[in-house]
Amino acid sequence: MSPITYFFSRLLQIIPTFLIVMVIIFLLVRALPGDPAIAMADAKATAEQLEQIRQRLGLNEPLWVQFLYFVRNVFTGNLGDSILLKAPVIQVILERLPASGFLALYAVSFSLLIAGPLAFVAALNRNGWLDITVRAVFQIGLSTPVFYIGLLLLTFLAAQLRWFPVGGYGTTFWEHMYHLLLPALTVALYTSAIIMRNLRSSIIEVVDAEYVQFARAKGLPEHLVLGRHVLRNALISTVTLLGLSIGNLMSGTLVTETVFAVPGVGRLMLDAIFARDYPLIQGLTLMFTILVSMIFLLTDMIHAWLDPRMRVK
Amino acid sequence: MKKILMASVAAVALTASFPAMALERGGSLTFARYDDSTLIDPIYADRNPDIWMVTNLYDTLLRTEADGKTITSGLASDYSVAADGTSVTLTLRDGIMFSDGSPIEAKDVVFSLERASNPDLSPWAGLLASIDSVSADGNTVTINLKNPDPTIVLMLATFNTAIVSADAFEAAAGETDQEKASALSIDGFVGSGPFTMKSHQRGAQMQFAANPHYWREGEDGKPLPYIDGINFLVIPDDATRILKLQAGEVDGAEFIPFARVAELDADPAINMELFPSTRIIYSPINTRAERADGSANPMADVRVRQALNYATNKEALVQLVLHGAGKPVSSGLMASTTQLATDNGPIYKYDLEKAKALLADAGLTDGTEVTLTTLAGSADDGIIFAALQQMWSDVGVKLKVEQVDGPTRGAKNRSGEFDVHTYGWVNDVNDPAQVAGWLGYHPTAKAVGTGWNDDEFNSLYEASNTEMDPAKRAEQYARMQEIYNEAAPLLFMYETPFAVALSSSVQGYVQTPLGNNEFASAWIDR
Repeated sequence: MSPITYFFSRLLQIIPTFLIVMVIIFLLVRALPGDPAIAMADAKATAEQLEQIRQRLGLNEPLWVQFLYFVRNVFTGNLGDSILLKAPVIQVILERLPASGFLALYAVSFSLLIAGPLAFVAALNRNGWLDITVRAVFQIGLSTPVFYIGLLLLTFLAAQLRWFPVGGYGTTFWEHMYHLLLPALTVALYTSAIIMRNLRSSIIEVVDAEYVQFARAKGLPEHLVLGRHVLRNALISTVTLLGLSIGNLMSGTLVTETVFAVPGVGRLMLDAIFARDYPLIQGLTLMFTILVSMIFLLTDMIHAWLDPRMRVK
Repeated sequence: MKKILMASVAAVALTASFPAMALERGGSLTFARYDDSTLIDPIYADRNPDIWMVTNLYDTLLRTEADGKTITSGLASDYSVAADGTSVTLTLRDGIMFSDGSPIEAKDVVFSLERASNPDLSPWAGLLASIDSVSADGNTVTINLKNPDPTIVLMLATFNTAIVSADAFEAAAGETDQEKASALSIDGFVGSGPFTMKSHQRGAQMQFAANPHYWREGEDGKPLPYIDGINFLVIPDDATRILKLQAGEVDGAEFIPFARVAELDADPAINMELFPSTRIIYSPINTRAERADGSANPMADVRVRQALNYATNKEALVQLVLHGAGKPVSSGLMASTTQLATDNGPIYKYDLEKAKALLADAGLTDGTEVTLTTLAGSADDGIIFAALQQMWSDVGVKLKVEQVDGPTRGAKNRSGEFDVHTYGWVNDVNDPAQVAGWLGYHPTAKAVGTGWNDDEFNSLYEASNTEMDPAKRAEQYARMQEIYNEAAPLLFMYETPFAVALSSSVQGYVQTPLGNNEFASAWIDR
């Protein structure tokens, strides 16, 4: 299979995923107790007023009619208006997506910068003191709650030393870099721990492989042995892991976004769920589905490039 | 530097403090909020972060003093209520302007009031149900009522009757009134309040600028506001909001957790304010004969509800949850800061013997199970449950917990699928009719979902809504509170203030008992 056919065959597989997600999310949000009218006017409205709100929002229509509206909206590129924010869903998501995307890429870059070199050092000094120290430190990073690390960084580096702002996002690119450094680091402490462990064990596996010994035997310089043979093969499983992490980060940096006051989509999703804002929850879920599918597709393409056997299967 | 601003003292304290400290104009404030506004419009504001901002952008015809009770003039310089109570006549102030410099005229008042009383548009229209028609003659506006309405004057000092520009709405983009309101809040904002909307990045920040055409004068004889603008930052996390203040990045932070009040109070750079509020925390008790699952409901017996109230040590709850910054309710039906609230002392003062006697009288068996529905993730609710579980075990009631999210709790309240659940309330209006309707009058919402239905209470409530004699209305309310406390459809708990931490340079900022954030008289001591 050529890379292009492979790309399109994988792209086609996304379509059923997308449709299934649409049905499930539509039913799931409506299965939650409470509805947008209750969430909106919880402690104020009379039963009559609640009915008025439901009528206005079209919640009294039969379920299948509501679903048809939803499908029509999705295919005409109109996801409706957010009940909570009183603005078009697409507009709201597009406003909030950049902050989450920036944070996710920032955190992943940090993770790679931290995990890559350390994984090599640890793997090549297997069971040496360096290896043990690196693994011990990362174990701490992995087992400490994200909000706690975040608050520690904020308290010492931001509030006391004043090296960084206490949360926020800023308006220009460099302001984003500055404001998001601590949250990106917070997230990276966790993801880099996972990536480091994975990469370390892959490297250990690959380093002893026959083709690596052969490369050495034929007199290849050590940096080429490591770069061309060890790294490329060791990265295969790490790339998959990285893809999964980015997917997770795009949708799930809720805690970090809250602690650092980053106006991202994680926080938006939480607000939407508490408001039973059906259009917004549906819109966000569809967006996450597309995004995660695209990241997985990209991961597969990189995977295929790293490992030609993948393309044949 | 704690200042518990008691309602009546607030106004005096503010005016008295000015001669001592030289009032300064200029500068802008940065204020950290717990949640963002969505649409700040007099009629579409339906969540507290919206409602509590309205009067910064839109002025009302009448105003309340800082105590939240005394009525004073606003955009209308004068008002009178007809002897038979069926109409209100207002005279508009001379020379008042919208933020774009256009005059505020009687037609704008007619437009605003018709919009506010239209049930198809405004979720608050029910509060203006007595309005029959609004007419204008020169700068005089007459509101004709279907029936005498003792609340109407206060309603004209409430956010939902604030004045918007008829011309600006006409010109705004959009088909429906709500689309026009949204469009106006983004582009070409026109308002009548002390500030104007300058920019809003949803979920992140919002900026207000001073309205150069605002009419009300400050202590120095020049128009308000004193400051040039406000930058609101949305910081949902309590700890981060406080760090932001401690780092000097913001001048104020709202909704300080009570556990942190003492610590911030000790910081000389921070002025820890506890503003009196109309906020009450209570727990509705299901009074229906049967529970939702069909089993007999022990709490249908008034003695059991009274016993649970006696078995609850409210002073201890105030210490545990509020770290002392609050007090047990003294009127079961409303906060003590509400008009016509009667002071019944601590109601159901902690008394285990009375509780046990009442339960024995009701024939309740030892080990009866009751479920408390709480908000998942709420630290306060966690403490309340742990405390009640221990307190009630002393009288043989076994308390279990069920944790749900807000809308689930709301749905359970409506359907009666609960035993006891935590709840809270803040008045939107300073008249007691709103809170009494919600908590006690069965037709409104089954007496806050409890199912309690008392004929005498209901008819007193109906009569009080058209009673124009203040003394008679006060008597009706006193009796309603008696009946309510006696019947105990609630677990009566406590009142809390609004905890706001300000940089010590910020002066004159007030959060009213209704929660409104008042920045018009705020200034910075530089």
